[in-house]
Amino acid sequence: MKVFVNDQEVTLGPGMTVKHALTAAGLVNEVEKEKKIYDEMGNEIGLGGALTEGARIYVK
Amino acid sequence: MFQTKKIKPFLIVCLLLLVTSNFLSCVAQREIRILHMNDFHGFAVPYKPYGSDESQGGLAYLAASAEELRAEKPTLFLAAGDMIQGNNWANLFEGKSSIEAMNVMNFDAMVVGNHEFDFGQEVLKERIGEANFPVLGANVIGLSGLKPYIMKNVDGLSVALIGVVTDDTPVTTHPKNVTGLKFLSSEETIRKYAQELRGKSDIIVVLSHSGFNTDADLAKKVDGVDVIVGGHSHTKVAKPARINKSLVVQAFEHGKVLGVLDLTIKNGKVVRASGRLEPIKPTGKENKAVGAIVAKYQKRVDIVMNETIGEALVDLDGVNVRLQETNLGNLITDIMRKTAGADVAIINGGTIRTSIKQGPIKVSDVYAVVPFDNYIVSIKLTGKQIRDTLEHGVSAVEDEEGRFPQVSGLIFTYDRNGQRGSRVKEIFINGNALESEKEYAVATNDFLAAGGDGYKSFGDSVKSSRDYAVIGGAMKGEKLVYGDSGRWLRDVVADYIKTEKTVSPKVEGRIKELRR
Repeated sequence: MKVFVNDQEVTLGPGMTVKHALTAAGLVNEVEKEKKIYDEMGNEIGLGGALTEGARIYVK
Repeated sequence: MFQTKKIKPFLIVCLLLLVTSNFLSCVAQREIRILHMNDFHGFAVPYKPYGSDESQGGLAYLAASAEELRAEKPTLFLAAGDMIQGNNWANLFEGKSSIEAMNVMNFDAMVVGNHEFDFGQEVLKERIGEANFPVLGANVIGLSGLKPYIMKNVDGLSVALIGVVTDDTPVTTHPKNVTGLKFLSSEETIRKYAQELRGKSDIIVVLSHSGFNTDADLAKKVDGVDVIVGGHSHTKVAKPARINKSLVVQAFEHGKVLGVLDLTIKNGKVVRASGRLEPIKPTGKENKAVGAIVAKYQKRVDIVMNETIGEALVDLDGVNVRLQETNLGNLITDIMRKTAGADVAIINGGTIRTSIKQGPIKVSDVYAVVPFDNYIVSIKLTGKQIRDTLEHGVSAVEDEEGRFPQVSGLIFTYDRNGQRGSRVKEIFINGNALESEKEYAVATNDFLAAGGDGYKSFGDSVKSSRDYAVIGGAMKGEKLVYGDSGRWLRDVVADYIKTEKTVSPKVEGRIKELRR
């Protein structure tokens, strides 16, 4: 499954979540700095959230 | 004068008509409230989420809030899946604690989430049997106890509730948990039941554990659904999303908010809708009955944590895992390799956080060693990719970084003074020299599989894989050959020690540093 974190493409195995996408993008520590994660519609999402093919998420 | 006389009765008739029509309209118009939560994952006790200094959630506080909101108008209280697995508060009792609390909270219905299957079908059937509310799963075929839909009469309003779980469930839990079950397309399933129930109900509500993007797609593709109450993507939908003719809501995760959706319904149509997420914090009113259940199971968590599950006949070294082979690294990677049925296991030393002294081993000792919510996966790597993985592992040994590997099923030598990227020398798997082009099943944890600690080969392998499917009850993928996201590594290790009773792993020369 390909997803995009801050427009960076990462590939994940089935069942992997937002946390794995952030790990793959090297951005998981950003959440510790009180940054939040959002989907492409601007909704906040949790680290355990499921992702779908082509999903775009943003850490900001 | 004549005109005034004529106009007066006319105005009275108009006024009467207006009052009558308004009265009739009010009779036909009804208001209901939907309270909803999803992806609770057993977070019954308030906690500070990663990156936050503020405690959030707390099931007893959520229950009190729900009780107050419920008293205001006719209400349905719904759960959109993943309620019984995740946190120790739920896991140590295979979700029994969650169901007990939900019974007291008077839920009207719940849909199964993919993680509801994580303890196996027999346990899930038990949990369904214990629930005072119906558990839905219209697209799951073969699990007794699940209902495709229910009809609820809410203050004279007929509400059809259909439940669906993600079509991906078979690849997000251990294959044995879904053996013999069939997962139908959510879209086709909702379409079928929506058509069937449209004439028999005032509104149709779908409880969907499929994720917000999928719910939005469903709203676009399937007509006749008024509301989709979702879960799975842990999305904080602050205001209901109007997509096509459906409203899509979801209430974040872990009981940190309670979803509130107020609907006005007239002639089988939602004519007004407003929604919000009520923040839940451990302040203010607490539901005492739910609080007592939370405390009861938390106390049991503490008891389980103090339970002695086995004995270490030697000290188990978790201190030197970033520097060299250790017996604790060997024990954990051996367990992982066996569990996944893999040829080899490789983890980063940083997975292991502390040591265990010779003597009795408690559950809490194991949880301290492998504290993270990591699970085992197995990915096919070529011999060359294994070499690259080990090269990466030893590339910062002088800095004692967490990437240093602990391994099972293989032996390798390396020169710490060599150039980074060419430090690894000989590699043997099951006594045979590594073959560059041959594929081996390599067990690791999901952190490394996602590229954690800079490990790239697992991700590269997954990237090259074709689609996954469940064939004959087992997940078949070209590269990812095992995954059990419902069982944390710490629990696998604890169960192993409990079964074996004693452990005495040794340093065997799996990782040999060449001396110049």
